[in-house]
Order: sequence, then structure tokens, then C-alpha cells
Amino acid sequence: MALVEARGVTKRFGGLAAVSEVSFDLQDGEILGLIGPNGSGKTTLVNVVTGALPYTAGEVRFRGDSIRGRPPYEIGRMGVSRTFQIVKPFRNLTVIQNVMVGALFGARGGAATLSEARRRAEEVLDFVSLSHRAEMAADGLNVPERKRMELARALAMRPTVLLLDEVMAGLNPAEIDAAVALIKRIRDRGTTLIVIEHVMKAIRDLSDRIMVLFHGEKLTEGPPAEVLSNPDVVSAYLGRRYAERAGA
Amino acid sequence: MATRSSAPVVIGALVVLVLAVAPMGLSPFLTQFLINLFMLAALAESWNIIGGFTGYASFGNVAFFGIGAYTTGVLLSVLEWPFALALPLSGLVAMAFAALVGMPILRLKGHYFAIATLGVAETMREIVYNLKITGGGTGLTMPITKNPLPFFYLMLGILLAATVVNWWLSASRFGYGLVAIREDEDAAMAMGINAALYKTAAFALSGAFAGLVGGVFAYWITFIDPEGVFKVITTIQMIIMAVFGGMGTVVGPLLGALVLASVSELLSTHLVSLAELFNGIIVILVVLFMPKGLADAIRKREFSLRQLARNLREYRV
Repeated sequence: MALVEARGVTKRFGGLAAVSEVSFDLQDGEILGLIGPNGSGKTTLVNVVTGALPYTAGEVRFRGDSIRGRPPYEIGRMGVSRTFQIVKPFRNLTVIQNVMVGALFGARGGAATLSEARRRAEEVLDFVSLSHRAEMAADGLNVPERKRMELARALAMRPTVLLLDEVMAGLNPAEIDAAVALIKRIRDRGTTLIVIEHVMKAIRDLSDRIMVLFHGEKLTEGPPAEVLSNPDVVSAYLGRRYAERAGA
Repeated sequence: MATRSSAPVVIGALVVLVLAVAPMGLSPFLTQFLINLFMLAALAESWNIIGGFTGYASFGNVAFFGIGAYTTGVLLSVLEWPFALALPLSGLVAMAFAALVGMPILRLKGHYFAIATLGVAETMREIVYNLKITGGGTGLTMPITKNPLPFFYLMLGILLAATVVNWWLSASRFGYGLVAIREDEDAAMAMGINAALYKTAAFALSGAFAGLVGGVFAYWITFIDPEGVFKVITTIQMIIMAVFGGMGTVVGPLLGALVLASVSELLSTHLVSLAELFNGIIVILVVLFMPKGLADAIRKREFSLRQLARNLREYRV
């Protein structure tokens, strides 16, 4: 049995099908890359799976139990954490307090005491190399740091499954390499990941499998090399004319 | 959030000790002033739970105060219960009412929530106005007590309890949950916080304290009517005091109540017309110079024009 099984997940906004009949399995311990052009439904899929948006149809099972219709906080406590594409820091709290919230309320009820939460938060900040900002107000971080803080908050929840929504946007190539290494270390510590990313090099290096969304539908899925050379994928991203000219 | 240190606790304990023995040597005027001050400070601390920590600006907290006042009023003067039984019920009834009303209206945010709470308070006044048991528009008269000391200690006790609860919020899991909701509710929920439950609990807690204060107020003042206990200005006072002192801090509402109650007492004995104007001016000055309140400004010791310019930029006033 796969860790996460999604079957026919559909989300319509009025007449627009943002996500349409998407099914996939997520195996324990793997990294699934989720790509697709802007507006293809990646973030909507994350929002539906994590309970932030209601389903129009379909179902997602986590460890065999349906999580459709459960509120976000329950799904978070069950062990499914996420980051937000548009970061949502707790601005007036310090960085370590932000991360402590994750430790306090995360998987299976979270840390029992503030001091335990602080210890866990320190550990996670060290892991994502943000310790030097621990006592700074979250408002004072730059965008890449905010993304890393979001990652730290999600990790402090000790998730089984982690959904990362474009945590590498705005990073330079060296920072991207560091982020790829970091995400691999998260997986090695036993967390299964879905990674949404536009940086193709990163997604190729990271993913065990890649799933492509296009206009809300699943275009294809498979090993990175195969998916990224698929003519349909190339034309979805770059237009049909480019794909033909490239001889794909 | 407030950092933990022993100094405020020691100072607080000393102040309480002094206050506890004080009324024996105080003039009747000063005693009345202090009872009123404790009342306002307790109301500001109670508002702080929902408005300051949770970030839901309630403009209707006077409803809980009024419900508390009328619970004690009806039990005392109509049903002739002892005050010792009536007062706890004031807190319980106001708390239950806050929880019940909170469940639907806490789904609203920002201005919509503010307007809904304002509506709740206005509606409560009209309901009380039209009920028989509350005496309608003529109000209720309590049995008269000559000795103000019980009220002094009761108000002080409620203020202490409300302050302790605020302090607990600043250093507990529950408080972290509320602050996370204030800062970003979507992120808070994704991180495992049951926002609906937490908000309702905060509103109920806020309501309980306002209800208790209302109960003591009714017996102390001996006469209540709908116009008197459901005044919009009472809610506004709670908000101004909390904002002036520092929302979401423990000592902020205390400081705000102390400064504002003292100044408006001085002004109203000398310049009545200025007293009304004063609250308005204070709000403008606070928003411009120290949007995080007096407590924060004192801690950072920043009262400069540069600070004003930075606030204008940062908060786009």
C-alpha cells in the first residue's frame, strides 16, 4: 500500500477545473517532483490534499485512511505538513518562535512544553542553517530566508509527508544546490516529499519520479529523464512550435 | 511575546501588597477612583485576550460586561440570591454567551468581525430593554451596601486573575496558538492549530472576565439600566487602553488603564470638555508615534521623530 493514494482528485472553481481527475501514489521514502506551467493546478492540488480547500470530487488516502473533508489542522497533526508558495510568516514573532509553533502543534499533538519546543526548534534551525537568525523578528528576513524558515516550521512538526511549494524560487545557483542537498537530507531522515519546483535542474537532481500537470490534468508521470524529454511535456512548457523545432 | 523574568513578578507582588493594605488609610474619593481603575484595567486585560493575543478586534465586549451586570442584577434584586452565588454565575453566563455567539461570528475577519460584535452588543441592549425580568428601561436597583471595601478587593482580585491569565497566555502552548492565529490563520491551521476551537475559547475567556467585572459593577453602583451598562464607549475604552499600553502584552493594558484613567479623572474634575477630546487625541498620537503601545516604547526608549517617520513608512498610516 502506498503512503498516499490520490484517486480522481478534482477541484472546480465555478466553471474552471483547476484540478481535474488527478490520481497518483506516493511511496514511503520517495521524492515526487510535481511540475507544470503556471496555472496548471499544482498549488491547488496541494491545497486540496492538505484540507485548505474542499474537494469537488475524488479522494486522498493517507496510510489507508481517507483524509477528504478533514480540517487542515487534523491533517497537519496526522503527519502531513506543507509550505506555502507565497510565504506566510508569523511576522511579529522571532524566527525561533515561528518554528516553536510547529514543534508545539505538529504531528501527534506536538511538544508538551515550551522548553521542549524550543529545543526542537533550535535543532531544526541548525539543520536548515538558520540558527544565526533565531532571535530576529521574522519580518526582518529576506525572501530566501523566509522560505527556509517556512521549511523549518514544517520540519518542526515532524511530518511523515512534506509538501514543498516552490521553496527554491528566488535562490541563486549555489543556493539551489544547497537546497537540493538539504531536501535529500530531509528524505534520508525518513520524510517522504512532494516537491513543486520550476527550477528544472533541481527537480531532475531531486526527484525519484516526476508528475506533470497541465491545465489541471495529469499529463504524464515517470522517471525524471523520461518525463523531461517527453515531447508533450516540452510543448506544454515551451509551446508546440518549439518542441517541433527541437525535433522532439 | 513577553520574556520571562522575575523582576515584574516581584514588582507586581509588592504593588499588590501595598494595594491590599491601602484602602484602610484612603479617602473615600481615592477608594472609588481605585475601584474604577481596577475595573477598567480588568476590562482592558479581558479585551486583550481576544483583541490583543488572538487579533480579533471585538467592538462588542461591553455585551459580556452588561450580561454579567444583569445576571447579578436579576439574581440579587429580583430572585434575592446571595451575591456570593450571583457573581460566579455572572462570569459563567457571560462566558457561555461569548462561546455561543463566538462560534458563528469568529468565522468573520477584520472589519466584518468588528461590525458583527458591535451588532451583538447593540442587540443585547435592546433585548434587555424589552424584557420584563430585567426591569426594561427603568432598570434594576440592588440592595445598598455602605462599605466599599468588598468591591475594592473584588475588583482587585478579578484584575489580578485577568492579568495572570494574560501572563499565562504569553508563555504557554495555548497562547502561542492564539498568537499564531493572529499572525496568519491559514498558516496556523496548516501547522496543526484548531483555529475555530482556540478562537472560541479565547472569546469565552475574555467574556468570562468582562462578565465578572459587570457583576461586581452592578452591586457596587447599586443601579443598572440598559443605557448604562451596554454603552459602546465602554468597549471603546477597553480598546483604547489596551492599544495605548500595548496590545498582546501583559502589562500594556494595565499601563494603559492607569495612565488614561488618571488623566481623564484629572481632566474631568477641571476641564470636562477636554476629557472627551482627550481619548481621541490619544488614539491619534499612539497610532503615529508608538503603534505597538506604551509598554513597547518604554522598553525600547524610542520617542523620536525618526521613529515617527519609520512608523509612517512601516504601517502606511
